Amino acid sequence: MNDWLFGTPRTRREVLRAAAMAAVAASVSTACAREESGGPVQPPSTEAPLETFSEPRTKLSGELKILLWSHFVPSHDAWFDQFAKDWGGKVGVAVTVDHIDQAQIPTRIAAEVQAGQGHDVIQYIATLSQYEPSVLDLKDLVDEADNRWGAQLDLCRKSSFNPATNRFYAYSPGWVPDPGNYRKSLWEPVGLPNGPTTWDELLEGAARIKSDKGVQLGLGMSQEIDSNMVLRALMWSYGASEQDENEKVVINSPETVAAVEYMTRLYQQAMTPEVFSWNAASNNQGLVSGKLSYIVNSISAWRTAQGSNPAVADDVFFVPALRGPKTALAAQHVLYNWIIPKHVTAVDAAKEFLLHYTANFASATYHSKLYDFCAWDGLTPNRNAWLTSDPFGAQPADKLAFLSDAIPWSANIGHPGPASTAIGEVFNTFVIPNMFARAVKGEATPEQSVADAEKQVTAIFDKWRAAGLVGG
Amino acid sequence: MTTRISDRAGVLAWLFLLPSVLYIVALVASPFVLAIAFALSDVSAGDPSYDYVGGRNFERVFDDPVFWRSLGNTFVFTGISMVLIVVLGKVLANILVADFRGKWLVRFLVLLPWTTPVALSSISWLWLLDSIYSPIDWVLRFFGFLGPGENLYWLGQPGLAMTSVIAVHVWRLTPLAAVIMMAGLVAIPRDIEEAATVDGAGYWRRMFEIKIPLVLPVAAVAALFGAVFTFTDMAVVRVLTRGGPNDATQVLASWAFYRGIEGGDVGQGAAVALFLFPLLLAAAIAILRVVRRIEVW
Repeated sequence: MNDWLFGTPRTRREVLRAAAMAAVAASVSTACAREESGGPVQPPSTEAPLETFSEPRTKLSGELKILLWSHFVPSHDAWFDQFAKDWGGKVGVAVTVDHIDQAQIPTRIAAEVQAGQGHDVIQYIATLSQYEPSVLDLKDLVDEADNRWGAQLDLCRKSSFNPATNRFYAYSPGWVPDPGNYRKSLWEPVGLPNGPTTWDELLEGAARIKSDKGVQLGLGMSQEIDSNMVLRALMWSYGASEQDENEKVVINSPETVAAVEYMTRLYQQAMTPEVFSWNAASNNQGLVSGKLSYIVNSISAWRTAQGSNPAVADDVFFVPALRGPKTALAAQHVLYNWIIPKHVTAVDAAKEFLLHYTANFASATYHSKLYDFCAWDGLTPNRNAWLTSDPFGAQPADKLAFLSDAIPWSANIGHPGPASTAIGEVFNTFVIPNMFARAVKGEATPEQSVADAEKQVTAIFDKWRAAGLVGG
Repeated sequence: MTTRISDRAGVLAWLFLLPSVLYIVALVASPFVLAIAFALSDVSAGDPSYDYVGGRNFERVFDDPVFWRSLGNTFVFTGISMVLIVVLGKVLANILVADFRGKWLVRFLVLLPWTTPVALSSISWLWLLDSIYSPIDWVLRFFGFLGPGENLYWLGQPGLAMTSVIAVHVWRLTPLAAVIMMAGLVAIPRDIEEAATVDGAGYWRRMFEIKIPLVLPVAAVAALFGAVFTFTDMAVVRVLTRGGPNDATQVLASWAFYRGIEGGDVGQGAAVALFLFPLLLAAAIAILRVVRRIEVW
């Protein structure tokens, strides 16, 4: 059925969209004095957002070579590639986009930095603090973004800013939450149909599921990224951490020992040795195939199951960070860091592209099927509408509604301090998963295992502190 | 009377050698010198500027328990792999020189592991050794060696993980050893074996008193290749276990990579990697001496 608007036949949807745009435009007219300051004008409800464009602050030309990961949600990459090329076409820049597996990106950056040539702007899914001496300080870019869209989310800022040097070694426009994923059909019979809410409930419920149904719990203690994330979440929930907010090593504490002791009980009652062998895909595969009762991961495994195993997908539900004796916190699952190496000449084009990308982050969120969250919350005004009425077929449609409140229970790697070069090396050499694994397997007491980890962490911190890259 | 360059043996010899020399200088000597320079510096993944720090990286490496564990693992990994590669290579070589129908197919299948890219083959092994879906576990369950729902967790138990890493390496390198030893077997003069047969020597006697002694220098070369390739390889470890569980399969090459590239400390990574050199040099000298002694006999 068509309606008439300005003398042209329009569909009802177009009329409603125009009305909504007019209403939004009116309400933000003051804020729109600066271009892009209000972000994209978006249609209501669950439709794809409209994209916005504003002229760059300087005249651009030449080439822009972008390197980023192959997204876990492939529809994002299809959108991004076209989005980047469209922008290049509008501003007169020839844009090239390369995607590679996320595990290869640090090696690639190291090679390009050593060679002094390569891509102009590079994205990774964790902090890139180790490259600080070879990348541009992006303070001007972050300031510009803050001016346009308000204050950046703290966990993104802490993952891109080094307080010891007062430099933004990266630009962090987005992140991804890391909730608990559970199988409702397994948790209902143990009296927890809405999943566990505390680490104690997790132990109790998972142990009963394993003894009654033979289905184990899936928290990794292996040398891979997901183990690194979930074990830090457990530590924080117990009041433990690797460093304090001033970057002083504080890992050897009664709280860390208590977290390790808890994990030992959890392993003995609810897990099997497979958790020591996992790679980053293992817990996803285990959940999708129905072999695990609970994992901690982003929503991508469930999105995969929606296509490959809908029955399992409908049975997978989510919970926020579990509460421990001190708090309830989870590590961010993915943290986007964009860097511009010092050898790059297309600096202006790189910065303008990042501003344009951030202004349209709602599209990144939408085309990643609600995987990517923005560091400037106001840029995705429809996110809560999407989360409460999933446009991509969640059953029930409000399955992801709990993510509307993900910020308070999410923290950066290195919490309560910043994600520094030292934190990055501790992360990448798997000190924390090995600390837990040694105690859980009985190779050392929890106290000894924590003390050994402290020795390794302290050596790493001392080294980078001497290089002037870590405070404390 | 003038001589053309092509008639001067010394010059011609150097001309022929030059590509090899350039290749070795560019791809072996330069990286080696660079590794020494890095090991004595504070170069990091994010900061290529060079500052000399003396032996500090080595001191830190020696203080690192993971380094000592990696060193021990490297010896275990290399020693066991080398013995298995030589023994199985010899068995395969005997099969390859024998005359039978479909020999070409067998030769093709034997060489397949060596020609398959290591990343690809390791990923196939990753599936074979999967903690839940391992077909090996399925077969063991089928024959009653494992109970229902029981798994061995090949990559989750330290001993089994090291066994798995060694098995994949042996699977990859045995064809190379087999081809080297096949060349040795083919080179044995037929009249020696025929004379022994006429004198009444049986299969096993000919094997242990003629074939093996004569093929021993070639077997030593196969062992040297196996040792060098095993000692310096990190691909299998990286794909299968990433050094886990709890660094139980970490080897020097993989630890150098994790410390130097992923961890960002190129100087310390170079120091770890450099530790491979004296060990490899000692192994190469020892094996080549053995070969020379065997040849002199």
